Amino acid sequence: MDVTEAVATHCPYCALQCAQSLTPTPTGVEVAPRDFPTNRGGMCQKGWTSAALLQTPDRLTSPLLRVDDELVAVDWDTALDHLAARLRAVRAESGADAVAVFGGGGLTNEKAYQLGKFARLALGTANIDYNGRFCMSSAAAAANRSLGMDRGLPFPLEDLRGAQAVLLLGSNLAETMPPSLNHLAAVRARGGLVVVDPRRSATAALAADDDGVHLQPVPGTDLAVLLGLTHVVLRDGLADRDYLHGRTSGLDALAAAVAAWWPERVEQVSGVPVAALERAAHRLAAAAPVHGGDGAYVLTGRGVEQSSQGTDTVTAAINLALVLGLCGRVGSGYGAVTGQGNGQGGREHGQKADQLPGYRSITDPDARAHVAGVWGVDPATIPGPGLPAVQLLAALGTAGGPRALLVHGANLRISAPSAGDVARRLAALDLLVVCDFVLSETAALADVVLPVTQWAEEEGTMTSLEGRVIRRRRALPPPAGVRSELQVWAELAARLRAPGRWDTDPAAVFDELARASAGGRADYSGLSHARLDGAEALFWPCPATPAGAPEHPGTPRPFLDRFPTPDGRARLVPVDHRGPQERPGPGHPLHLITGRVLQHYQSGAQTRRVPELAAAQPEAFAELHPLTADRLGVGDGDRLRLRNRRGEVLARARISAAIRPDTVFVPFHFAGAGSVNEITNDALDPVSSMPEFKVCAVDVVAEDDPAPHAGAPVEGAAR
Amino acid sequence: MTRVVVVGNGMVGSRFAAELTDGDGGRFRVTVLGAESAQPYNRVLLSQLVAGQYGPEALALPSAASERVRVHGGTVALAVDRQDRSVLASDGSRHRYDFLVLATGAAARVPALPGLDPWPRGVHALRTRDDALAVVAATAEARSAVVLGAGVLGVETAVALSRRGLPVTVVHPAPTLMDRQLDAGAGRVLAASLARLGIEHRAGVPARRVRTRDGRLTGLDLDDASVLPADLLVVCTGTQPRTDLARAAGLPVGRGVLVDDRLASPADPRVFAVGDCAEPPEGATGLVAQGWEQAARLAARLRATGTGPGALPRRRDRVADDVVKVKAAGLDVVTMGVSGARVGDPALRTLRLSDPDAGRHVEVVVSGQRLVGATCLGDAEVAAELLACYTRGTPVPADPARLLLTPLAAVAAPRPAVTELAEDAVVCRCNGVDRRTIDRACREGATTVEEVAARTRAGTGCGGCRADVCALVEALAPVPAGTSPQPGPGCEKSVTAVSPLASAAVTSAR
Repeated sequence: MDVTEAVATHCPYCALQCAQSLTPTPTGVEVAPRDFPTNRGGMCQKGWTSAALLQTPDRLTSPLLRVDDELVAVDWDTALDHLAARLRAVRAESGADAVAVFGGGGLTNEKAYQLGKFARLALGTANIDYNGRFCMSSAAAAANRSLGMDRGLPFPLEDLRGAQAVLLLGSNLAETMPPSLNHLAAVRARGGLVVVDPRRSATAALAADDDGVHLQPVPGTDLAVLLGLTHVVLRDGLADRDYLHGRTSGLDALAAAVAAWWPERVEQVSGVPVAALERAAHRLAAAAPVHGGDGAYVLTGRGVEQSSQGTDTVTAAINLALVLGLCGRVGSGYGAVTGQGNGQGGREHGQKADQLPGYRSITDPDARAHVAGVWGVDPATIPGPGLPAVQLLAALGTAGGPRALLVHGANLRISAPSAGDVARRLAALDLLVVCDFVLSETAALADVVLPVTQWAEEEGTMTSLEGRVIRRRRALPPPAGVRSELQVWAELAARLRAPGRWDTDPAAVFDELARASAGGRADYSGLSHARLDGAEALFWPCPATPAGAPEHPGTPRPFLDRFPTPDGRARLVPVDHRGPQERPGPGHPLHLITGRVLQHYQSGAQTRRVPELAAAQPEAFAELHPLTADRLGVGDGDRLRLRNRRGEVLARARISAAIRPDTVFVPFHFAGAGSVNEITNDALDPVSSMPEFKVCAVDVVAEDDPAPHAGAPVEGAAR
Repeated sequence: MTRVVVVGNGMVGSRFAAELTDGDGGRFRVTVLGAESAQPYNRVLLSQLVAGQYGPEALALPSAASERVRVHGGTVALAVDRQDRSVLASDGSRHRYDFLVLATGAAARVPALPGLDPWPRGVHALRTRDDALAVVAATAEARSAVVLGAGVLGVETAVALSRRGLPVTVVHPAPTLMDRQLDAGAGRVLAASLARLGIEHRAGVPARRVRTRDGRLTGLDLDDASVLPADLLVVCTGTQPRTDLARAAGLPVGRGVLVDDRLASPADPRVFAVGDCAEPPEGATGLVAQGWEQAARLAARLRATGTGPGALPRRRDRVADDVVKVKAAGLDVVTMGVSGARVGDPALRTLRLSDPDAGRHVEVVVSGQRLVGATCLGDAEVAAELLACYTRGTPVPADPARLLLTPLAAVAAPRPAVTELAEDAVVCRCNGVDRRTIDRACREGATTVEEVAARTRAGTGCGGCRADVCALVEALAPVPAGTSPQPGPGCEKSVTAVSPLASAAVTSAR
């Protein structure tokens, strides 16, 4: 390879996967945006500064082993021999399920696939799950239930450009994936942007400023708002009756369920005025094809999904889209805005507790037989479903629970809910192993740390928020001492005498992945690195075709002809609003919500190490309303203490009338005293096992307030 | 299997049956006896049905999903035999129970006015879907309507009939409209609002007699000797809990079926009452929120124990289920909790914003940091915030007068021109570039949006600020001598180009 040639790849961070070109320089790489349909040549501050992480002074370049409570550098053979011996010992003493694996939505498709295989074949454990459980699980469960398939956006992002209305729930695109706003410029100009958010976020402000609609509900009541929107659509005769008759089932039960959510009741529960609710419903309906509109989209993000009723909330969003006749039509639809870089691919290839590659169910005998065939093993040797993430973390180091944990591409000490509890569980393990390229807060707790490659140093594929499979390419060699996870697992598999092939070439792993996915919901069998290098716009499903036949062109818009359900129809699933598990009460009078800032990504392990980003957003802050600040006697910039029964967090006050007076917002990218997940709630969605990150009850005081925290939140659902 | 008989298939009875059999592990078999149709419907929206906002089918509510629930529509419970633990139904069937839940609801209360016996054509109560459909049918022929009673339903019905194009007069015996909820000042604002909608009202004047000719309504005589000619009269004078069945079964009855704070009859631990027919210790509100809360509470407890009725949970201390909101287009009337006019408690503060000329009246009653009551007319956004504060019990501002106006950012003030922005104002959000940085780039020689982007990254995210960057370039770029100070073509072009950045290469900042 000519080292001075620019390499076409994509940004290391979010699911928008902005196209970048990396030009090697004597000190690293030079980053420039590339034109690509999702980012249209744009890139945010995170992408522009991404090269800085390649030079971070605390880059790990040697395996670390904990000796006498210190992490000391050792060579790879020492680390791997030690690790394999420990893993064998734990398995021998406590069974295979005593070793658990925690993966990540930032891993390439090849790694996500190989990690699932490593867990099932090399470790023999059922207990593998990943941080996507904290991210996409509610949207995935709802889309599978209603539409028969979970592809975050079942349409190209560019389709939004022609829309007359876009309803955005719990998504702050202006901060989380800024270049995507380019696709919303036209709908904003038409006054068609409708944002549902308890804050007037940067995105909600775009709606408000441009004659769109911003609904600002009480946190945790988005489901009631959606039921109310659907109620208004049905009440006012705005439903697409022909579409409902021809392409869906379950209308009568749905109509009866939403009849119980008349607008005045929704207002009482959500604080959204009746007139605003009706305005939003009418704006959306007018854009629907049945009313001659140019098209409408309903999009959800983590703000509504990270809830104990997240699956039902997404279901309600899909129901609204179906009642308006949007799904499976060009120019309209429902989509979930995937967050993590490979949040889409990460949930398809088998690192999820209940899944095998190709988005197959691990309990489906046919799926097990197919995957076992590709792996060259007896289907009976593949373990069954394991514990989902929160239950898995809660079981660590408990009697009968896992004693060892391998972490890949996750920083769960910061990113898991009620993170103080998670720290106690991690401390109870006999063996914690972390693969990372910096000493993240989780790696710092580990017994074994293995240094691995980062984005610009590796080949592979990612699947973007649109379900488009794209190539990540290597622009420079990793530092000496660093290995890829594929190498790590091959080495460990050999030491553990695992059956099966353990390729270290990403292209070869992809080919195996493609075969394993053949016939599954997420069928990649028609794809290869070579084919992707030729045409960079292929969407799954993209099945293999018989020899001599033309290649499958990929599927930019599934659902156009039918839904992948047994009867080909989308299902209208009635749901009801229950409300958050924890509500404000004496001693915890405010709602706490969390989210992102533009300059940071996820737990901040990467972006906090980029000087320009860290300088722009150096520490946790708490956004609160002027009336709340006045009541608490605090000023802008004062240090605040936020506390509840799970712990406390310190953050600096940012006073803003953009937030409801009953709510305080803290971003979740920070560690130490500013780590807000210390106090978020790990209550779970009963369907998806998604934790309720996005709303809990909290007390806020000035930092020097000595009064101990007392009382317990009132439990129970809003009606 | 535990046998439960529910008498009443209205909003509360049907909800109870569904909740009881959802996640009960198959332990309950439920029989529901409903005097009306087998499918429950939303009674709260009947005035909206009259208004034409809903079709009758749009009111249908969910039936219990479990096949262990059997609903007998059009079937009236005739008698309860508490010795035998059975209910005799109008179709002759007898239903044994381990637990009996009375959810018989309430009937329209009709005043004893001369002229109503025999019931004349043209006079309607409004309690059932059939009632509402009959009113709708009557509006086709009617030329003028009178609504008797200006409670919530009366006001809603008056607006509904007016929306159908009828001249409407509301007659109310008390001097203040909606006097159960409103004080005199708020009532005056409501009266003015009704007048603005073209609806007449006669407050403080009781009705004396219903006038009829040939069994058909012709008008209403009032106590002040005036006569309101009308061919449609809708009687909205309150409701009466249906207690006959309970009384005949020897259960204690007050205004409603008396129950303790566990919803059980003090005379029989196997018998419960919920919804409008019940009279719990804290009193009945007549609102569905209270009935649904009771249904959920009773179902949860029966599911939890399945057997003994002894340990039903008590009502939670504070259930903010007494919110009243008038559902009528063009009227914003919301009340909750206590009203300042009728409390003498020195621990309470009452604050009012009275703006009758604008049809606005806001009153809040505060106890310590808690909002314990509010009345809000003519300001829907403030009302929505007060509701959230009241139902959640979240703390009120240090100065509760702030509650009288909306706390949320209103429609954003127009953003000043970018050239008027402060130096540290962010122009490009995606890359955090402030005006000072762009100014410096221009002073240092950047003359196009591309050149500014190459030096600062401004405009290289979503591209939304490129027009602003262009304006700054035009305002700040040094204009070469002899050239026109018009916007340069490069600047214009770059703003409209589809993908102007693909070729830009900028060294990443360290």
